[in-house]
Amino acid sequence: MSLAGDVSAGTPRIHLSKDMQQLLYRLLAAGLLCVALSVATDAFFTANNILNVLRQASLLFFLASGLTLVILTGGLDLSVGANIGLSACLAATVIKATGSPALGTLTGLASGCAIGICNGLMVAKLRIPSFIATYGMLWVLHGVTYYYMAGETIHGFPPGFRHIGSGYFLGIPIPVYLMIGFLIAGTVFAQRTVWGQQIYAIGANPMAARLSGIPVDRRLILVYAFSGAMAGVASIVFLARLNSAEGDIGEAMTLPAIAAVLIGGASLFGGVGSVFGTFVGALILTLVLNGMNLLAVNASWQPLVTGVIVIFAVWLDMVGRKRS
Amino acid sequence: MNKLKSNFRLIAAALPVALLSTGALAADETIAVFTKNQTNPYFQTVRVGAEVAAKSMGAKVVHYIPTKPDSIPEQLSQIEDVIVKKPSAIVFVPVDYKAMVPGVEQINDAKIPVVNVTDRSAGGKFLAFVGADDYSLGLETGRYLLKEMGGKGNVVILEGVKGSLTNIDRVRGFNDAIKENKDVKLLASQPANYQRLQGLQVMENLMQSHPQIDGVLAANDAMAIGAIEALDGANRKAKVIGINGTKEAIDAIKAGKLLASGDYNGFVQGCIGTMVAIRSLRNEAIVNEVVLKPTVVNASNYQPYDVPLEARTCPSWADAAAMATKAPTKTN
Repeated sequence: MSLAGDVSAGTPRIHLSKDMQQLLYRLLAAGLLCVALSVATDAFFTANNILNVLRQASLLFFLASGLTLVILTGGLDLSVGANIGLSACLAATVIKATGSPALGTLTGLASGCAIGICNGLMVAKLRIPSFIATYGMLWVLHGVTYYYMAGETIHGFPPGFRHIGSGYFLGIPIPVYLMIGFLIAGTVFAQRTVWGQQIYAIGANPMAARLSGIPVDRRLILVYAFSGAMAGVASIVFLARLNSAEGDIGEAMTLPAIAAVLIGGASLFGGVGSVFGTFVGALILTLVLNGMNLLAVNASWQPLVTGVIVIFAVWLDMVGRKRS
Repeated sequence: MNKLKSNFRLIAAALPVALLSTGALAADETIAVFTKNQTNPYFQTVRVGAEVAAKSMGAKVVHYIPTKPDSIPEQLSQIEDVIVKKPSAIVFVPVDYKAMVPGVEQINDAKIPVVNVTDRSAGGKFLAFVGADDYSLGLETGRYLLKEMGGKGNVVILEGVKGSLTNIDRVRGFNDAIKENKDVKLLASQPANYQRLQGLQVMENLMQSHPQIDGVLAANDAMAIGAIEALDGANRKAKVIGINGTKEAIDAIKAGKLLASGDYNGFVQGCIGTMVAIRSLRNEAIVNEVVLKPTVVNASNYQPYDVPLEARTCPSWADAAAMATKAPTKTN
């Protein structure tokens, strides 16, 4: 609630410093994790491993960044994982059939975006609660994908296309550039454009937003379209990295994506959160897996360790923000 | 209307031919085939095996697959559906070997004959069990890798879903194979949950802390191929093995990227399971237990696997009976 006030009325300087403060607390957990891992193993703080972690975080970030906008409006998109599955399979089919990675990429992005628009229409026009609309969409997409793929995989794509996921430019993996690009674009869009501010306002108080003349329906459709499109982006990078498409590839990514957004400081009630926070959330989740692998934590303990660290990170952030 | 009539005439004309070619019993034998999910290519091989067997014996197959992969409540409600519809027999892969026992008991109460395939159910009455042994699959595939490595070097294990029966046995097999070789060092055994992406990421992470990895033992093909992508991405080389003998794994073996894949023989399991079900309906001799020997598919023996599933043929009944671990019996 208070953030929406800042957004419409606060002066730029105060706005920035408060944002910065919150970002610091959010980074604290990630920072602590890095320090602890550097102490625990020599393998952690190396240029190679930092790039490795960033590249691994990128897939989760693509998915979670679009989702952040949806959560900012007070909604939820449970279909992102299933969206990746279908978009990746369609893109893979088109690349195989036409031999054109460009057409395949377009197909993946278009499919992701179209699914997002359907979600947006259901939420904005039919007034179906977003949890239900996107949960239903999840099953529709799984149904279509599983039927279409029938347990098969599509694999083996041209090297040029693979470059998007596994290539390097100036020693840095391509997905990391993409991630930084979307991080900047998403932050500028959310913090510095009228549309972005309207999205915060809708989440903070939908009724007030409507009464103040914000085209709520159109903005809602927009955020779901963004979320779907980012799932499309993730599906392309996924294909290019893994060189293979199967029906259930996104299945395991939906909850971590939602968790990344919430660990990043967003509220499920809307109006609070940031794309940068989500980036930190994705980083924390990736660091946990990286650290456990480097330290060779026993497989039986890994879920427990993950859970404890996630809860601890969010608790630290909350305590920090209360103090400020 | 005319079209309908001519269609009807066609069918009427074809019917006696169909009956002749499949035998009189064929008309009403329906086999309900239960598998765990639509996502794992393995179960597709079981389903196609069942279809090929049923087709050659002139019976029909109806598939029951949970829409949510491995869903216990969904498979239970599918059992209830099937009891109402009364198929002639059931070929059953439980989504969970313990949790589905009450479902199996319901099938027993309804007096529908049922064959257990792939995962051995913890209870219930079955005509037969047809499966493969995950432990020896892990052991044999692991042994093959270590032999190819010359019995020395550093290895890592990529585990499947913690707590799943297949994973426990496969990883135990891997570990026992490693113990047989004193000069092989196990650097890490980490879970990647049978997922391709996690196979890739866990391998990337392990390469950070271990500069020299010579061999990778992955508990399924998807993780193995994820690990290969990670190795390629880092310009490193290691011998990698997987399990399941999927089409993708065969392609990777042909391309020289994957060393070998332990074949779980889903197609043959589907074949024999269905053959047992149909034979029992016809009061022909059946077998009570078939545990298939592991086959390690590699560059020298992949050819029979390199054909589309639908084009493969089931083993003859004599061959199937020869694989039985218990003496053939006659049903009543």
